[in-house]
Amino acid sequence: MKFIKEHLMFMLPLMAMLIGIEFILIFNRVTTSYEKKLKNEYAILVVSKRQLTTPMLRAINEKIDSVEPMDRESIAKEVTAGMQDSAMVAIMKDLPYFFRVHLTSYLSLDELKEIKQQLSSVDGILNVEIFGENYHAKHTMFKLVKMILNVFIVMLFVVSLLLVIKQMEVWQLAHKERMAIMEIFGAPMMLRSGILFKIAFIDAIIATLLNVFIFIYIKNSWASRTDITFIKENQDLLLNFSDFLILFVTALVIVAVSVFTVAIRSSEVPEG
Amino acid sequence: MASVITAQNLTLAYEKGKNIIINDATFTIEQGEFVFITGPSGSGKSTLLKSFYGQIKPYKGTLNVGGFDMKKIKKAQLLQLRRNLGIVFQDYKLINEWTVEKNVVLPLIITGYSLDVQKVQAEKLLSHVKLADQAHKYPLELSGGEQQRVGVARALSKNPFMILADEPTGNLDEFSSGVVWDLLENACDQLNATVLVVTHKIPTIFNIPYRHFIIENGGVHEVH
Ligand SMILES: Nc1ncnc2c1ncn2[C@@H]1O[C@H](COP(=O)(O)OP(=O)(O)OP(=O)(O)O)[C@@H](O)[C@H]1O
Ligand SMILES: [Mg+2]
Repeated sequence: MKFIKEHLMFMLPLMAMLIGIEFILIFNRVTTSYEKKLKNEYAILVVSKRQLTTPMLRAINEKIDSVEPMDRESIAKEVTAGMQDSAMVAIMKDLPYFFRVHLTSYLSLDELKEIKQQLSSVDGILNVEIFGENYHAKHTMFKLVKMILNVFIVMLFVVSLLLVIKQMEVWQLAHKERMAIMEIFGAPMMLRSGILFKIAFIDAIIATLLNVFIFIYIKNSWASRTDITFIKENQDLLLNFSDFLILFVTALVIVAVSVFTVAIRSSEVPEG
Repeated sequence: MASVITAQNLTLAYEKGKNIIINDATFTIEQGEFVFITGPSGSGKSTLLKSFYGQIKPYKGTLNVGGFDMKKIKKAQLLQLRRNLGIVFQDYKLINEWTVEKNVVLPLIITGYSLDVQKVQAEKLLSHVKLADQAHKYPLELSGGEQQRVGVARALSKNPFMILADEPTGNLDEFSSGVVWDLLENACDQLNATVLVVTHKIPTIFNIPYRHFIIENGGVHEVH
């Protein structure tokens, strides 16, 4: 009973930390995919007196991916609907060219403003519309959620680490005598703490595995049944194979940190 | 001959200024010497040994052990020195979760000897202290005298350059005491180890030359 309790006291905070890490990993992937989606759906509108080409604009700013001309005739037709054909010809003569300018990646509002400035100063360009506010409203919300999540995870980490170290101290106390004897015979700290590493290492493996199982379950079972479309669409992002390694390495680092913290603090101070 | 221990006006105290245990002691011990230390209970015999393996630092004066200034010795150097000592404790200090066999080779484990070497050495030493058939028991399954002999075997397991033994025969009958004295004599005589033994009673039959220090009222005096 005491045995199980002690190991839970160590493993639960450890698992909490690993879940925190996994959330950060997932959220980073979701952010990337979300920004890609935003980028793909987004275009700057450019109005120009003369024809523009992709190489021309790329020379101005490398973040411009491509330039897509909009159909002038349909615009003119819409404007002259019900009028004589000559009106259409006249309008076509004076109508400027319209372009959608696509970007290579998701850009910040400042970067967009910079592009707008650069394009506006190009000879022949009459107007540039970047639809900045619209583009960023959703993304700002997203960033806020991400920041709150990070703050929360950092707090979770601090509290959990303290709990893990606390349990490590309990184990160290239980093995104090053995460690003291080894020290009198000249054993370096790593060797003296070997027993602590051994206990904690096994717990780290179990915690990692449990975590991976939880996320595999969420990914394969819960995520396909949920009503939340965003999760359904991003199901693939929930657990990568590399996460397994990242979690395991993190668990080992946490174990090492807790063992060292305890071992260094308790290092024998000669009497007298 | 080279000195392994040099004490100059050595003063030892557990609390600075108060309760001085050893006061202003000056002596040298050479490599390969056998030294008996006697004195009344509470006179500071164990404390003096502790200062030799760095468990207590000189309060005043200087102490040099195996080339290290024990006042200034760094942690890593202290561990290195300890790895080359063989220490027998008055209260045995065995690791209760380990078998007798594993306890005996603790110094070899710490230095990183292979399991094969450990096995051979454990067998040899346990038969020397007449405990060959107890190898797989745990310390708490042994009598006090048996545990003490495990402690002696452990101290000898790595052929240390110096053996510090605190009452190594305190709990032994005449026969077992004889076995332990023979082993310590042999370590000194054959392996040229320096041996310092704290004891209440110097054995009547002893085959090699030895020195004798008495600790009394804080002073360390040699009997000639
Ligand atoms: N860790 C300690 N802290 C404070 N005082 C101590 C400590 N260990 C020993 N002493 C005191 O130091 C004095 C000498 O103790 P020490 O153990 O060296 O005596 P000893 O000569 O080995 O006695 P014995 O023959 O009974 O083993 C005693 O008065 C004891 O109370
Ligand atoms: Mg003593």
